[in-house]
Amino acid sequence: MPLFGEECMYKTRKKSLLLITAALAMLVSTPMSHVRAQVGAQTPSPQPVETGDLSQRPKLTQATMCERVDNLAPVRPGMVFSVSNGQVCCYTSFDPVPQATLVYHRWFHRDELSTQTRLRVYPPKWATYSVIQLRDTDKGPWRVEITDQNGRVLNVLRFSIVD
Amino acid sequence: MADFLKFLSSIRWQDYVDIIINSYILFRVYVLFHGTNAFRVLVGITSLWLLQELAASIGLILTSWAVRGITTAAAIIIIVVFRNEIRSALQVRNVKAFIWGFPIREQPTPVDVVVQTVYQMAKKRIGALLVFPAKEDLGELIHGGIPWHGTVSPEMLLSIFWPNNPVHDGAIIILGTRIVEVGVLLPLSQRQDLPSYYGTRHRAALGLAERSDALIIAVSEERGRVTAARGNSITPFSEPEKLAQVIKQHLNISDGMPAAAQKRERLRLSMAAVLSLLVMTGIWFGFTRGQDTITALNAPIEYVNRPVAFEILDTSTDEARVQLYGSSALIKSLRPGQVLVRVDLSKAVEGRNVFPITQDNVILPPGVFLNKVQPSSIDVQLDVPVAKELAVQVDWVGKLPDNLNLRRISVEPETVNVTGGSQILQHVSTLYTAPVRLDTLEKSGSITTALVLSPPSLKLVSNSQEKVVVKYDLEERAGKERR
Repeated sequence: MPLFGEECMYKTRKKSLLLITAALAMLVSTPMSHVRAQVGAQTPSPQPVETGDLSQRPKLTQATMCERVDNLAPVRPGMVFSVSNGQVCCYTSFDPVPQATLVYHRWFHRDELSTQTRLRVYPPKWATYSVIQLRDTDKGPWRVEITDQNGRVLNVLRFSIVD
Repeated sequence: MADFLKFLSSIRWQDYVDIIINSYILFRVYVLFHGTNAFRVLVGITSLWLLQELAASIGLILTSWAVRGITTAAAIIIIVVFRNEIRSALQVRNVKAFIWGFPIREQPTPVDVVVQTVYQMAKKRIGALLVFPAKEDLGELIHGGIPWHGTVSPEMLLSIFWPNNPVHDGAIIILGTRIVEVGVLLPLSQRQDLPSYYGTRHRAALGLAERSDALIIAVSEERGRVTAARGNSITPFSEPEKLAQVIKQHLNISDGMPAAAQKRERLRLSMAAVLSLLVMTGIWFGFTRGQDTITALNAPIEYVNRPVAFEILDTSTDEARVQLYGSSALIKSLRPGQVLVRVDLSKAVEGRNVFPITQDNVILPPGVFLNKVQPSSIDVQLDVPVAKELAVQVDWVGKLPDNLNLRRISVEPETVNVTGGSQILQHVSTLYTAPVRLDTLEKSGSITTALVLSPPSLKLVSNSQEKVVVKYDLEERAGKERR
């Protein structure tokens, strides 16, 4: 069972000040429930609804499973992960991100939704990841669905947790 | 009296029919087999069975066991030893005779006509061979006969055995008033002690007599003598009266008083009919009227009239616990499959349906009654079958060598189409392969593995592959990356 998820963000140096300002503004304007979600609380499933302008959607440029994220980059990407690693990460990056929005990482263990993490992404580009802690009972095939806030599936990553 | 009337009113019309049918079957067995050795042995076996039941009821363990063994063996022996008699009794000319025919209604053979003609032929030195079958079937002993079905008369007999007739050398078979076959070839006796003046005709007569219970009359062509063969003996008869007596005795025809004989026969059959009725009534009461035994068993639930559009997705239980009562004989004889709970799904709708289980749902053999049934209702979940495309994912197991990393995987085909209940498929989006071990992987390559249909109610559509090809890329881990 995953214990918690977390979000990490990075920004380019050039626009770091701008992004910090924007993030603070979002936090001020965002309800507390959303703030909790960003640290990995289980959230209601997004319903797939085709709404909004396509140009306003974030574009997923990279999605990969990895053992960890160091310096805002995926480390040891792969398709199978040993339970002895203790964790596994789903790393995603978006470019461009036209406007601040939400994406979800929905973790399924053998077709059963195990957890989902709500992640906030910000313009102009953003990378984020979610992580689950592994226990022996987590062995088996997994998939992570990366969806936007309307429930549209942007990508599906499949991997296995093994001995 | 009131109790007796109440008791009578409790008997259903089906029970009367039941008793009458079985009484008639018993009566027909008596009619068909009466007088045969098989019937006598059958009576003996029935007596043994009764003895075994008696021994069991009073606790004679060894006697009961021994008699049961003897009865079982005797039942097999009777079929083997008396197969000819049984076949002869059952082998009748038509179904009507089998179901309804009575010996009393059969026309007796005109013995006097036969005897008179036989001596007439002897006087004219016309050879003849006449067979009067008894209970046993002669089909396997004789051959070459030509069906005739002519009425017995002096002219008919004389013409058959007339020297220029093509069939005059063979024997004739006489049944009742009919000559049923002519030109019949009989087996020859191998005995060495026969007088030298006995020719082939006499050897044929004795040959059949030795092998069956038939009576054979032979007329010598050379000496003009009449002989009768039965069993192991062949006897010359110079007096027609004595021959007639032997034939009548063989055919069970009483002399002089046909009306009295018929009356006696009717009385015997009536007694047999009444006895059959009494025996069957007793057996029926023994089997059905006692309701002293209660038992409980698990009955399978059968779902009928399922709407074509639906599939049964789930049920709350697969069997019901039924408590039954009835006579101990019927309760003991209950077999799996005789008791079942039937649920009619004709009015079921998609989703969850609750069906109460009442007495009407429980199917029981006659004479067994329902006391109670659990559960009192059954939940049945019905679903609509649909097709869905599912992604295929490899189920890796084991441990990948520390120096390797599984970097990329591709599965061919990536998806497969399956059919199943819509509510089941709503929660299924992936079909997994059989477990594939990582321990044995050393370098990039491909493997073929089977798909696992889970839940098992899913089915691959006809054109979908049951196996998939997994291509995998392995890369070496850098030394410091090794776990």
